[in-house]
Amino acid sequence: MDCTLCKEDLRVDGRGCEDYRCAEVETDVVSNTSGSARVKLGHTDILVGVKAEMGTPKLEKPDEGYLEFFVDCSANATPEFEGRGGEELGTEIANTLYRVFSSESSVDLKSLCINPREHCWVLYVDVLLLECGGNLFDAISIAVKAALFNTRIPKVRVLEDEEGSKEIELSDDPYDCIRLNVDDVPCIITLSKIGYRHVVDATLQEEACSLASLLISVTSKGALTSMKKMGKGSLDPESIFEMMETGKRVGKSLHIALQKILDEEESLGTSRQKVGFLG
Amino acid sequence: MQTSRTFLKRTRAGAVVKVVREHYLREDISCGAAACRRCTPCPAGPGRGLGLEAQPRGAASSLCPGPHYLLPDTNLLLHQIDILEDPVIKNVIVLQTVLQEVRNRSAPVYKRIRDVIQNPEKHFYSFTNEHHRETYIEQAQGETSNDRNDRAIRVAVKWYNEHLKKIEDEEKIQVIFLTNDRTNKEKALEEGITAYTCEEYIKSLIANPELVDRLACVSDEGKEIESGKIIFPEHIPLSKLQQGIKSGIYLQGTYRASRDNYLEATVWVHGDAEENKEIIIQGLKHLNRAVHEDIVAVELLAKDEWVAPSSIVLQDEGQNEDDIENEEEKENILKTSVNKDMLRPTGKVVGIIKRNWRPFCGMLSKSQIKEARRHLFTPADRRIPRIRIETRQADTLEGQRIIVAIDGWPRNSRYPNGHFVKNLGSAGDKETETEVLLLEHDVPHQPFSQAVLSFLPKMPWSITEQDMKYREDLRHLYVCSVDPPGCTDIDDALHCRELENGNIEVGVHIADVSHFIRPGNALDEESVKRGTTVYLCEKRIDMVPELLSSNLCSLRSNVDRLAFSCIWEMNPKAEILKTRFTKSIINSKASLTYAEAQMRIDSATMNDHITTSLRGLNKLAKILKKKRTDKGALTLSSPEVRFHMDSETHDPIDLQTKELKETNSMVEEFMLLANISVAQKIYDEFPEFALLRKHPAPPPSNYDILVKAAKSKNLEIKTDSAKALAESLDKAESPTFPYLNTLLRILTTRCMMQAVYFCSGMDNDFHHYGLASPIYTHFTSPIRRYADIIVHRLLAVAIGADSTYPELTDKHKLADMCKNLNYRHKMAQYAQRASVAFHTQLFFKNKGVVNEDAYILFVRKNAVVVLIPRYGLEGTVFFEEKDKPTPRLNYNSEVPSITVEDTTLCVFDKVKVNIILDASNIQHQKIRMVLVEPKILGNDVPADLSTEISSKSEPEKKKKKKLQK
Repeated sequence: MDCTLCKEDLRVDGRGCEDYRCAEVETDVVSNTSGSARVKLGHTDILVGVKAEMGTPKLEKPDEGYLEFFVDCSANATPEFEGRGGEELGTEIANTLYRVFSSESSVDLKSLCINPREHCWVLYVDVLLLECGGNLFDAISIAVKAALFNTRIPKVRVLEDEEGSKEIELSDDPYDCIRLNVDDVPCIITLSKIGYRHVVDATLQEEACSLASLLISVTSKGALTSMKKMGKGSLDPESIFEMMETGKRVGKSLHIALQKILDEEESLGTSRQKVGFLG
Repeated sequence: MQTSRTFLKRTRAGAVVKVVREHYLREDISCGAAACRRCTPCPAGPGRGLGLEAQPRGAASSLCPGPHYLLPDTNLLLHQIDILEDPVIKNVIVLQTVLQEVRNRSAPVYKRIRDVIQNPEKHFYSFTNEHHRETYIEQAQGETSNDRNDRAIRVAVKWYNEHLKKIEDEEKIQVIFLTNDRTNKEKALEEGITAYTCEEYIKSLIANPELVDRLACVSDEGKEIESGKIIFPEHIPLSKLQQGIKSGIYLQGTYRASRDNYLEATVWVHGDAEENKEIIIQGLKHLNRAVHEDIVAVELLAKDEWVAPSSIVLQDEGQNEDDIENEEEKENILKTSVNKDMLRPTGKVVGIIKRNWRPFCGMLSKSQIKEARRHLFTPADRRIPRIRIETRQADTLEGQRIIVAIDGWPRNSRYPNGHFVKNLGSAGDKETETEVLLLEHDVPHQPFSQAVLSFLPKMPWSITEQDMKYREDLRHLYVCSVDPPGCTDIDDALHCRELENGNIEVGVHIADVSHFIRPGNALDEESVKRGTTVYLCEKRIDMVPELLSSNLCSLRSNVDRLAFSCIWEMNPKAEILKTRFTKSIINSKASLTYAEAQMRIDSATMNDHITTSLRGLNKLAKILKKKRTDKGALTLSSPEVRFHMDSETHDPIDLQTKELKETNSMVEEFMLLANISVAQKIYDEFPEFALLRKHPAPPPSNYDILVKAAKSKNLEIKTDSAKALAESLDKAESPTFPYLNTLLRILTTRCMMQAVYFCSGMDNDFHHYGLASPIYTHFTSPIRRYADIIVHRLLAVAIGADSTYPELTDKHKLADMCKNLNYRHKMAQYAQRASVAFHTQLFFKNKGVVNEDAYILFVRKNAVVVLIPRYGLEGTVFFEEKDKPTPRLNYNSEVPSITVEDTTLCVFDKVKVNIILDASNIQHQKIRMVLVEPKILGNDVPADLSTEISSKSEPEKKKKKKLQK
């Protein structure tokens, strides 16, 4: 069915091949996290919470903090996740996220260091899949970026006395916190090969038709930071190149749109009426 | 409406946690004003006061003549709680913000303000501003939580003022904000709020000038600099102290001032470190404003600066502040050359970790300057420094016992600053003095509360079927009790009968108090708090209400009583063949005094059941005592006195040392046996949570003084074991000096350690040194000791007569309880001694000047401590007097002896002293003793007195002997 339609740059739901479905983004939805975001992309519904906790830096990188990812595939999302059904998918997504986000070029990990070799911030990024409606990776990456943007890490001071023993002091003012620079945080664009063409933001049905897809992460400047092929089908080099180009183009506009929304929301400050889970 | 409060918190593990609390705002919170018709009237009920009066008629103030409510901020409440508790202050709004801050910062003040709010007379109202929609504020950006709270308070004041304006009344009620914080006050004034400092407001009260005295003087930082030079080094801030303690530069410990020398103190270092457990602090600067019982941080001095504990008695007499040079002179006295091996770790206080200030009892030393407002206050406890207070009623307070609280101790002040709290009554008055000594020794002595009394059995009480279930009926036995005369709380009774097989059955029956005091209820909690009954000379502060102590639990004769019995089967050699514990019912056939019991035993004509049973007991007791002494139990001696009271004036008319009869030791012997048997039983049953009592062996160095003293009399005291000590004490007799043995035993008592309660799961040394028993507990006096109640409960569970409860088998709770009980026992003992001392003073006041024989117990560098056997009275004879030239003193620590001019005084010398009640200074009534014989040149005794000296020449002889040596 799709082959003909795709050819015409027209998909089942009326979109073109490079069109995203309508996305809803809201940040600061879970009050007891350091930062959180909820993203709805069509029927896909993702909640991401970031919790900042103090830990010790990794031995190989004594002056950097780090990120940890955990993906929970709730059985609410799809009945297949019941029991341990979602575990494998969860690990796979977490591994991908780790590759995409946890590099020095995307997040300034050095700013997460409190004092080298002893204390640093560890950001625990928890992803909760509330509903699966296709294109999980893209939706998750948008949510992670929004949540990281929303993250506020309490400011701490390291007091050192003459003997060199250190004491960590927490600021009294809850507004006194550090923000992360998310300019270089990439988004994931999944391109699904259907017939001879490829589409972005595939729905569940489209995903069922696709034999192979390419997952690329793109920064707001259009730089490609990682790539992964998924599915059992094969892709010839020519179309891979084509897909990469599409991905960069789509990614750049996606970043612009997301940043605009986030800035708009931020400017409303505390007066913003939260939609939350009841809206 | 819901909002959420978010705050960051650092956990103990070091993690930073974001905490989010849901917070609900309401619109129906009453403002508490009776005249307000817009709010729903506040519900009255338990735990709430009556709210604010419609027409507040507090004290008239010249600053705000109109009707007004007061609204204090947190610091004001914390520091000036004494003022707020005064009945004059009414109609105060206490904000929730304030209350919460107070709760976080001081639990005692929080409790006091809660009590005030509950008092319907006071019309205090606690307004939950944090949940009121119009007074709740969120922390703004760049605002500290302190600033936020200050702002919240101001918002609440503003809201109140606006809210009260809407009341349709001619006279508008104003809300006055009280704060001592300068910036906060300025901000409030800017916002149009009437604000005063506490001082301003209190001073404006027209009819109550005396309240000003009770203002705590919390001086501003700026104020301190102007007056006088700095005396003390600065305290190091807490955060630095904690780091220093962690890294071992400083040591943390409890500061204990010396009773005898105000320039010396010791710090008991916390923790298990073997060395430097006890650090000496000497000199004003090193003491650095620490007060007795404070938790302090100390820095050790270099070894060449170490000193030895001085044996000088120094009392702070200075009236003037500027006598610093004088002080230095006195400090130099301390540093007289001493033996190298006497040096102890010495340190200086560098900071205070926790103040342990409480209100202190004492008296005012009125300033010599006329109409001065600043006076010094001398606490009753000599370990507490004098406190400077400001008062205008010095004339009325003079000669009164008062309570004063310390507010602070600035660096430029010789004495701490404080304020007057309460007047107890005139000094020397028996009621007042008793109150003082109870307060000073932290003895809970308020009447039992209604809640406690509600757990008492309903009268008339009788034994029910239910009670009989687990009990043995022993009413047929010939049980009797033997106690001191006038005893109303009889907690033990005995019986003894011959069995058919020739053995003897002996029973000890103890009042079953745990039957009446059930675990966990208010009665139980009050008893555990009191820990022990305190016996003063003419007053008994009961641990349990009188209904129990003198009636239901008291094993009086010819009534059925519940008991816990310990029954042994013994052979005639007093060897225990069988031990059995049971709850029982007894009916005592006679309550005897020691003397009556003795008489029955001795009189050949009496042969009734009771008498034969007493004789049997007495016989066995003698064997038991012999066995015990053979094992190395010590017989110690401490002079105990009894007063004969005038039945009308209740003044002591005669003193007499307590006499011990055979029957005393008979009862004691069986009590010991019962305690040991029970201890073994509960330990076997509950090895982890048995409550036991131990008496640690004293460290050998404790005996130094005893050995030296005995040596001076050519006697040898062996101290390597309890048995050796007991034997050598028995041998230490002098044919010419019969009292010597008693004196040695008194000295030995002073060498001993304190016996303590402990939980068997928390310790592994159970030995009772004094009784030479491997295990011991207290079982036999549950009416007057709480420890016994716990032991009863444990034993009841062990024999299946009662059910257990969680706290009973929690060794940490048990250990905490032991700590409290040990503390209460110690305090009760001190209170008892203080009461005896006070009555002794009263006695000598009535008796006038007397001369008495005395023995020297201790020799100090500038004084000797003597014991007057006739009164069991101990006193210090000083050789230095204020306005007289100091006699030549030569102290020899080896013998120990002191040579005054040409007279040498040695330990145990018999002397004659002149006892006078020194009432010249009503502040410190004390018994003064002056040496009459041997005569010391320059130490004049009034001529008319010296004629009274008896002709006994014994001391003279002795002295000569010594000189020949």
